[in-house]
Amino acid sequence: MIQVKNLSFSYTKQPFISDMSFSVSSGEIFGFLGPSGAGKSTLQKVLIGMLTTYQGSAIVNGVECRERTKNFYENIGVDFEFSTMYEKLTAKENLRFFSSLYEKKSRPIEQLLEKAGLEHDADKRVSDYSKGMKARLNFIKALLHDPLLLCLDEPTSGLDPTNSRVMKDMILEEKAKGKTILLTTHNMQDAAELCDRVAFIVGGKICALDSPHKLIMSKGATTVTYTWMENEEHSASCPLDCLSADEQLKRLIAENRLQSIHSSEPTLNDIFMDLTGRTLL
Amino acid sequence: MRLSRLFLWDIRFQRKYGFYFLYAVLTAIYAFILFAVPGSWKEKTAAILIFSDPAAMGLFFMGAIILLEKSQHTPCAFAVSPVREAEYIIAKAGSLCAISFIVAAILALIANVDNLHIVLLGTILSSTIFTLLSMITATKISSLNQFILWTIPIEIVCFVPAMLHLFEITPTWLRYYPINVCMDMVSGYAPPITGILEVIVLIVILLVFSKKSVLKIWRSMGGVKL
Repeated sequence: MIQVKNLSFSYTKQPFISDMSFSVSSGEIFGFLGPSGAGKSTLQKVLIGMLTTYQGSAIVNGVECRERTKNFYENIGVDFEFSTMYEKLTAKENLRFFSSLYEKKSRPIEQLLEKAGLEHDADKRVSDYSKGMKARLNFIKALLHDPLLLCLDEPTSGLDPTNSRVMKDMILEEKAKGKTILLTTHNMQDAAELCDRVAFIVGGKICALDSPHKLIMSKGATTVTYTWMENEEHSASCPLDCLSADEQLKRLIAENRLQSIHSSEPTLNDIFMDLTGRTLL
Repeated sequence: MRLSRLFLWDIRFQRKYGFYFLYAVLTAIYAFILFAVPGSWKEKTAAILIFSDPAAMGLFFMGAIILLEKSQHTPCAFAVSPVREAEYIIAKAGSLCAISFIVAAILALIANVDNLHIVLLGTILSSTIFTLLSMITATKISSLNQFILWTIPIEIVCFVPAMLHLFEITPTWLRYYPINVCMDMVSGYAPPITGILEVIVLIVILLVFSKKSVLKIWRSMGGVKL
């Protein structure tokens, strides 16, 4: 679906994106992770044909992005981080309007509203919507024309846990239908949960690219931390794969003296910090 | 067809934002003025009213519409849709032209002007020019106050020569000034063919600049303060 080769882009004389190469297969959820100003949004703008003065090659759905025509957008759905709706129109009116811009037949609006939990607010003006409602409405707007590629910019930003779950389930449902999804985020939990592969972007470069599981495993095994009392509380840690060699732990288990025992896996943020010396948050 | 759908939605937006109600009220006020003035003044009064409001409404409203859209980030949605800049411009200019046309027709009929068809064609051409000028101006503007300031030079360049021309106090060569050609038509006078050609060339030039302006708005992600 997406092939990027030696992509470079700059707003000034300094390179903003430099020499990026990667590809995304159809039906894959691909995440761009990085701190603010890393170049994630710029990369997404290149891939959706909004920035065409780049060097190298960026082919999306068989079209070189700099040569795209307006028909390119019949198969791309973009969910911006902010609302792009007419505030004075109702949700239903907005969806009807935006679906009228495409030649493709629209997906049933009522069904989409129901999926997003907005069916009872469909006739409410968007100006009366909460931030979470606007985010869900914006997302279903990107689905209206049933695009092959979905570009989502911070889709769960500012959502409460329930709405965040609704949004993530809708994203996974689109993946199950075979849609390719580009997810731009700095939320490592969302990325770990949703993405098949993630690319860490810092300073306009890809520092690492792999599945979240492989990246996490690359840091090393899960650690087990345990505590026990001996005059005062003590704690010790050992890697999960060396547990049987920890004589002290074996003795404490035999004597039933353990106070607590926890296993902890490294997070994507730990990996990111290891690789870049910076935090995602 | 997408263009006709855009055009109809623009009319719906304008109705929703009260444009049609506003112009129903204004038309009633203008009609009252036309009934009140002596018969010999009717044609010139109608020409001033038509040129300064329904024909020029696009100058103020198009900019306001663009600023409103910018504040709601809808240009971003257009940028990643199959809508072409020309479709967007024609739909917007056409929908505002529709209001100008209806109001101008009512006023011209009340004033019982000669050459109604020329008056209406003049209104459509003037409305298109003002709307496109407004669209180009609104591109670089980020607040309503800025927009109002930027429209002042346009008003001076467009309205002053036209009003002087209406009362025949400008040099003869200025009758070829495109805005004055429009003023002639709104007053019911058939312009020379060169005059019409000048207006058409001006509209084509403004369309090219409008396309560039709209593309610039669509590609910028920032909002505005209203």
